[in-house]
Amino acid sequence: MSALAARPASPRRGGSPVGFVRDTVLLTARSLRAIPRVPERLLDVTIQPIVFILLFLYVFGSAIHIPGISYANYMFPGIIGQSLAFGVIGAGVATSNDMTEGVIDRFRSMPISRLSIISGQVMGQFCEQVVGMVIVIGLGLALGWNPHLTPGHAIELAALLVFGMLAFTWMGVLFGMLVRSSDAMQGLGFIVIFPLTFLAGTFVPIAGMAAVPRAIAQWDPISALVAAVRQLTEGYHATGSWQLAHPTVAMALWCLVIIAVCAPLALWRFNRKLAS
Amino acid sequence: MPRVTALAIQTNQLTKRFGAFTAVDRLDLSVEQGTVVSLLGPNGAGKTTTVRMLATLLRPDAGRARVGGHDVVTESEQVRRLISLTGQFAALDKNLTARENLVLMARLRGRSRSAARKIADELIERFDAGAFADRLVKSLSGGERRRIDLAAGLIDRPYVLVLDEPTTGLDPRSRQVVWATMRELVTDGVTLLLTTQYLEEADALADRVVLIDRGTEVASGTPAQLKTQVGQQRVDVVAADGEAFERLTGALDGSFDITPLPEHRMVSVAAPDEVADLARVADTVEEAGIAVDEIALRRPTLDDAFLALTGHAPQTEEAQEQEVAA
Ligand SMILES: Nc1ncnc2c1ncn2[C@@H]1O[C@H](COP(=O)(O)OP(=O)(O)OP(=O)(O)O)[C@@H](O)[C@H]1O
Ligand SMILES: [Mg+2]
Repeated sequence: MSALAARPASPRRGGSPVGFVRDTVLLTARSLRAIPRVPERLLDVTIQPIVFILLFLYVFGSAIHIPGISYANYMFPGIIGQSLAFGVIGAGVATSNDMTEGVIDRFRSMPISRLSIISGQVMGQFCEQVVGMVIVIGLGLALGWNPHLTPGHAIELAALLVFGMLAFTWMGVLFGMLVRSSDAMQGLGFIVIFPLTFLAGTFVPIAGMAAVPRAIAQWDPISALVAAVRQLTEGYHATGSWQLAHPTVAMALWCLVIIAVCAPLALWRFNRKLAS
Repeated sequence: MPRVTALAIQTNQLTKRFGAFTAVDRLDLSVEQGTVVSLLGPNGAGKTTTVRMLATLLRPDAGRARVGGHDVVTESEQVRRLISLTGQFAALDKNLTARENLVLMARLRGRSRSAARKIADELIERFDAGAFADRLVKSLSGGERRRIDLAAGLIDRPYVLVLDEPTTGLDPRSRQVVWATMRELVTDGVTLLLTTQYLEEADALADRVVLIDRGTEVASGTPAQLKTQVGQQRVDVVAADGEAFERLTGALDGSFDITPLPEHRMVSVAAPDEVADLARVADTVEEAGIAVDEIALRRPTLDDAFLALTGHAPQTEEAQEQEVAA
């Protein structure tokens, strides 16, 4: 019975960068354990892209003709950009649910850095997005997507996608903490993110759009992403705005800005919201 | 561990509002190191709100609170190193097993993988949780979760252990295990703040009881002091029918201090001598040959304590809501 008494107090001091990394790794591993145990969550990140692949490949696609490129090769970069953006909704819904879990209270009352709780959440969500993206790309390749990639471009593409998913996950986690409930997050996703993914030159060229949607599309970050993927896989160049002409650089900048804005806001929100 | 002062917990005029409603109202509380203080109060009294402020989970709106001399707002990091809270509702990852939860918490408290496993094994054994340790928390019963939750609060020997209604929903056997563990920790010098709705639990464990209602202290003292204030035990006799009730009142009146409650066919008898009085009442009833359904010695309940100390019954939540709305 003396086991409790004999155990020395915790050896950690907390607050150090090493401690932060260690806690983030532990908390990420905890999130990852949930993936096979709650497979529905993975379904959430893959079901929409699959529906859109089938819809545009076999239903609408036959009516869309893009000069100089097969529709499958035009559309799949769009699907990739869209799935990445849907990641904001997925991460937001998951986060707004996760933050109401009792275990968050225990983490918050423990001597660990609060940023590590959020970055653990982000990394967990990020890994789910990566798994979802691998499934979507695999499905694309199986259904006739034929990207023309040099090894250099493949690395560039992978780096861009990883960076993009990280940034969009941060954005989703922030939104998940700002909204009142996961239903509100679904609503926000449907009203804001959903249209942005369609405007982004995903399924039809931006140049053919009416003036107002075209103006939005030219500066939609998802457009930059889609254009970048298309440029890397097909050498297909979009025009219309600076970011469409330089999509890889534009996308990298977008990611930097998103992370620089969302990460501190998420931490601030985490400390505020839960303490009020 | 951060440096600490003699007072393990001290609050001055601690206040928390939710909108227009004041959940904790200028509460002054002090808990000396190595003692057990119980916060006793009905639903909605502000117990959970108070302990959440102490554990740095909620920010006070006014007043201050210190743990080991460290302010919960400005020195929250030190406070988190001193305090361990097991809240009213399970704070576990429901997608992990009970064991994985304990290992994770131990790892987050800086233990190596093997040390964390060992601690988890010890705690599982202590809380008699071997049978369900490898099941996902989401599939556990409320009482099983509660035990794992309590175990998770004991990974480090905390300086201050705060338990919010630790035994609500536990079966008698598990309750004994929890009480025994608490006593052991206290012997070992841990300061314990526990909230409860049961006078009995406060009585069994606490050095000092603080009775709170509507966010403020209404009384405090040792359990014995409170009980004398609350009044002695009573013997309640329930008559079998209306006629028996009349005879019962006649038979007991004169020899005892009685309060007849006709609507319940019950006569409540003051029992300063406790069991001896129970025996005398039973003898009187027996001799008179009155038909009764029940004769029982009743300890003062939380309701009695409130009546005696505040002059009103514990307020229900609906009544409070009406008050806010008004
Ligand atoms: N986040 C919140 N928003 C609004 N009101 C709240 C909030 N948390 C608590 N309250 C209110 O504050 C009051 C005190 O709540 P608290 O949970 O501290 O009571 P308690 O003493 O722990 O009760 P119980 O015995 O039911 O656990 C209650 O009336 C409750 O409705
Ligand atoms: Mg409570």
